[in-house]
Amino acid sequence: MSTLSLPARSGGRAAQIHIDLVTLGLLSVILLLGLVMVTSASMSIAARDGGDPLQYLRGQASMVAVGVVVAMVAFSVRSEWLERWSSLLLFLAIVLLVLVAIPGVGYSVNGARRWLRIAGFNLQVSELTRIMVLVWVASYAVRREAELQGSLIGMVKPLSVLAVIAGLLLLEPDFGAAVVLVATGFGVLFIAGARLRDVIGLSFVVTAAMAAIAMLEPYRVRRLLAFLDPWADQFNSGFQLVQSLIAIGRGGWTGVGLGESVQKLFYLPEAHTDFVFAVLAEELGLLGILLTLVLFLLLACRALWIAKLAHDGGLKFQCYIAAGFGIWLGLQAFVNIGVNMGALPTKGLTLPFISYGRSSMLAGLAWVGMLLRVFHEAANAARGPAAAALRGGSARSVAEVAEDEALLADGARP
Amino acid sequence: MRLPGSLSSRSPRRGERGRSRAAASSGLTRKPEPSAPSFDRRAMFVVAVFACIALALVWKAVTLQFVQRDFLMGQGNERTVRVATIVAHRGAIVDRAGETLAISTPVDSLWVNPAQLAGTGDEISRLARALQRDPEELTRRVTSNLQRNFLVIARQLPPAEAQRLRALEIPGVHFQREYRRFYPAGEVAGHVLGFTDLDDAGQEGLELFYNHWLSGHDGAKRVIRDNLGRTVQTIESIRPVRPGQDLRLSIDMRIQYLAYRELKSAIQAHRARSGSVVVLDVQTGEVLAMVNQPTFNPNDRLQMKVALYKNRAVTDLLEPGSAIKPFTVAAALASGRYSADSIVDTSPGFYKVGVKTIVDKNNLGAVDLSTALARSSNVAMARMAVQLGPETLHQTLSRVGFGRVTTSGYPGESAGLLPQWAHWRPIRTATISYGYGLSVTPLQLAQAYATLGSFGVHRPVAFTPVTGPVPGSRVLPEQVTRDVVNMMESVVTQGSGRKASVAGYRIAGKTGTAWKASAGGYITNRYVSVFAGVAPVSAPRIATVVVIDEPSVGGYYGGDIAAPVFADVVGGALRLLAVAPDAPLDAPVDQIPESTPQREPDLDLPPEADAVPPTTIAQRGESIAAPNGAQR
Repeated sequence: MSTLSLPARSGGRAAQIHIDLVTLGLLSVILLLGLVMVTSASMSIAARDGGDPLQYLRGQASMVAVGVVVAMVAFSVRSEWLERWSSLLLFLAIVLLVLVAIPGVGYSVNGARRWLRIAGFNLQVSELTRIMVLVWVASYAVRREAELQGSLIGMVKPLSVLAVIAGLLLLEPDFGAAVVLVATGFGVLFIAGARLRDVIGLSFVVTAAMAAIAMLEPYRVRRLLAFLDPWADQFNSGFQLVQSLIAIGRGGWTGVGLGESVQKLFYLPEAHTDFVFAVLAEELGLLGILLTLVLFLLLACRALWIAKLAHDGGLKFQCYIAAGFGIWLGLQAFVNIGVNMGALPTKGLTLPFISYGRSSMLAGLAWVGMLLRVFHEAANAARGPAAAALRGGSARSVAEVAEDEALLADGARP
Repeated sequence: MRLPGSLSSRSPRRGERGRSRAAASSGLTRKPEPSAPSFDRRAMFVVAVFACIALALVWKAVTLQFVQRDFLMGQGNERTVRVATIVAHRGAIVDRAGETLAISTPVDSLWVNPAQLAGTGDEISRLARALQRDPEELTRRVTSNLQRNFLVIARQLPPAEAQRLRALEIPGVHFQREYRRFYPAGEVAGHVLGFTDLDDAGQEGLELFYNHWLSGHDGAKRVIRDNLGRTVQTIESIRPVRPGQDLRLSIDMRIQYLAYRELKSAIQAHRARSGSVVVLDVQTGEVLAMVNQPTFNPNDRLQMKVALYKNRAVTDLLEPGSAIKPFTVAAALASGRYSADSIVDTSPGFYKVGVKTIVDKNNLGAVDLSTALARSSNVAMARMAVQLGPETLHQTLSRVGFGRVTTSGYPGESAGLLPQWAHWRPIRTATISYGYGLSVTPLQLAQAYATLGSFGVHRPVAFTPVTGPVPGSRVLPEQVTRDVVNMMESVVTQGSGRKASVAGYRIAGKTGTAWKASAGGYITNRYVSVFAGVAPVSAPRIATVVVIDEPSVGGYYGGDIAAPVFADVVGGALRLLAVAPDAPLDAPVDQIPESTPQREPDLDLPPEADAVPPTTIAQRGESIAAPNGAQR
């Protein structure tokens, strides 16, 4: 069974809550893997800093618990509502990003001002604004579908908004988040049917713009390109990557064994956050890498499948929300893994649902709640045999499927 | 057919059909048709891109984990694998009964990685405060050594303090396990044991001599270190550690402590410059006790001054003065020209040799050898020596060990000085017969007396326990040495050494009071007081030498200064060794009140009519000996 359908009562009218067990299952496995790897990678760091070796496990697990609540809240929000208020969300996102850019309001760590202190909790604004902005992009794609699918300007408009957001992210600076956001936005617009020539042309423009921004500062170019040969400057700019590569190289087929990583012992900086994948590769080897890649690929595909489900049900906004999640998840996961393996420039990006990071975990789970909401709405709204199958269990739906099969058979016989 | 896989693979076709059907039948408002296949294709394109990226990442992972594996593992090992030293534990030193005299205990040394520590900002001052050092000075030291990886800041921290510092968890601060030597006996055995340096290697004394035995061989192992310098895993053993072996000494701490106590109180009472006591086992040649004053506490390196290190009992040379006389007598007896009851005429109390005159304190007249020894007659000794000739005297002195190092092997031991007899002119022969013109160490003197005590058998000196009988070599006829020992007993019973007597034991010994030689001649108001002897006379067990250098208060005669120390040490040692008494206990001679005249009226002058200093004999060999008046 891929779905769980629960009878529910809504406004006196019988309805059903549909929950996608495939998404939940994949997500649970990823979360468990993450908890295990964060614990393994952080134990020595925690023991050195605070004394409680399980400090990060507790932090991450409690964030998962809070995240589940947030996801349930997100699940209960009707997508139409989001669509209606998407402009407000975009405005809110810009306000947050401006706030964080103000010295004294934004809270900075290691020279990057990315956090807002809200009631003792450090919120990494980019994680939250990413969802808000992509919700707006999805609503735009629905609202201006004809314009998007028919003209260059329809594509340029949302990209301009994305450029503003990206600019604010670059102020922090958070180059990685900016790149992922713009790329995801591109992906959603592409899915939404933008003209191919516009997509290709503008992606060149955007890439060139990003490259130009990167080259404004020579140090940034040097740091960006350090990944090409980290060994050239292995004790300075290439230090982290070199340690990461060593960790992955030590892995082999099955890894050195869970908990046995040596690189996590203060050699590899950010071993439990951005570079947790390297520790995973060292401890679990190629098998662990394959498992991780397959899990993320499957979850991203499942999100796109849900998007398709919504699309088939005529729920375009929901479709783009789901697609946005899938594209973002795949992009961010693969970019992070690529960074860990030295295939991409070293940028501060978390591995979704695995890296230690509270804002990232909360935002990710909130988005999963929205994805499940999309599935639920799509399953309820779906017409046709596929959706009918989803309703599952009831005698009526089985009959409907049978009827459908019969129709199909008729159609096949002229 | 509700499985997601089959559903998704079929859904495009079926959805299209369903939708067109639904659109046709229900008339719901729909987006234009063309976008739908476009969505499917574009979603499939995204999936395909992701699959390609995933494959590329797998390929990259395979490259890293298999193609570049050796290189990466090598780079990793370069950073994490270190060779660690396993410090070998130095063997303990115990006395003959097993009591610990020296033991190595674990301590920690603190070292830092300067660059790492300097990068932590104010952690240096935190470390300085914890170490009670000047923060600025420490900062300077750390920052001026940034290019080094290893800088020792504090050594030999006690475990508790090291634990406290470790708890600070300052990055770049590391600890190295070492061992520090502790000497439970402190200054009591300080000289004989010597000491080790900071690396626990022997520097002086027996610690140095037996270093090869005591020190182990450090082991080595290959370990994985975390980036804080802590060992997290041992990969392999490169060289096993071989701990040092324990060393048992012949020293008897009970006697050692007794000798220490008595010597120290005598040195203090007489405000002497220095002193030594050596106790040898006559039958085995073992050193039972060896103490010196002033001494040092090897546990407190701050108070250690080079001048205090010297184990005077083996390094310092002294002219033995009258303490040599028993050997002159032995040479005379061994020559066959004298017998125990021979009479020597010492009239008129002086004796001219060449242009020099050898003087007794008073004219003893014709005396037997026993009296000559008891009254310490220089004239009798000189007459006999001149008659025997240099070769005979030299032979005896040489045979009992003067002029060459004992075989103890103790580091820095002096050989003493016994000139070649061929160059002796009569005056040299005469002065050597009463203890001037040759120099000996206290240990040599003790060994020579032990040879008398074993009735002519010379045995090597040993600092470690000797098992079984030691054959030794016979250097003097037994009867000769028995006669000499009996004569030495009369020194204690009726001569100059009465204060050396011990209740219950027959003691044989000889006093000595010698002027100290210095550049250009003898100093007439500085003395070395000596008492040497064996006990008990019936079957000598120990030979003991007491040397007190430059006593300044309460006299200076060997019989007054050194003899009481001898009595206390020997009496105590014999009882500790459970030696059966060989004299009645009811007439303890040493309890004669101080006021009682110890000398008969005709012997009222100082019995130690010691030498006219043969100043120029040693130096120029010409000038006349000091006049009688030079002696009080």
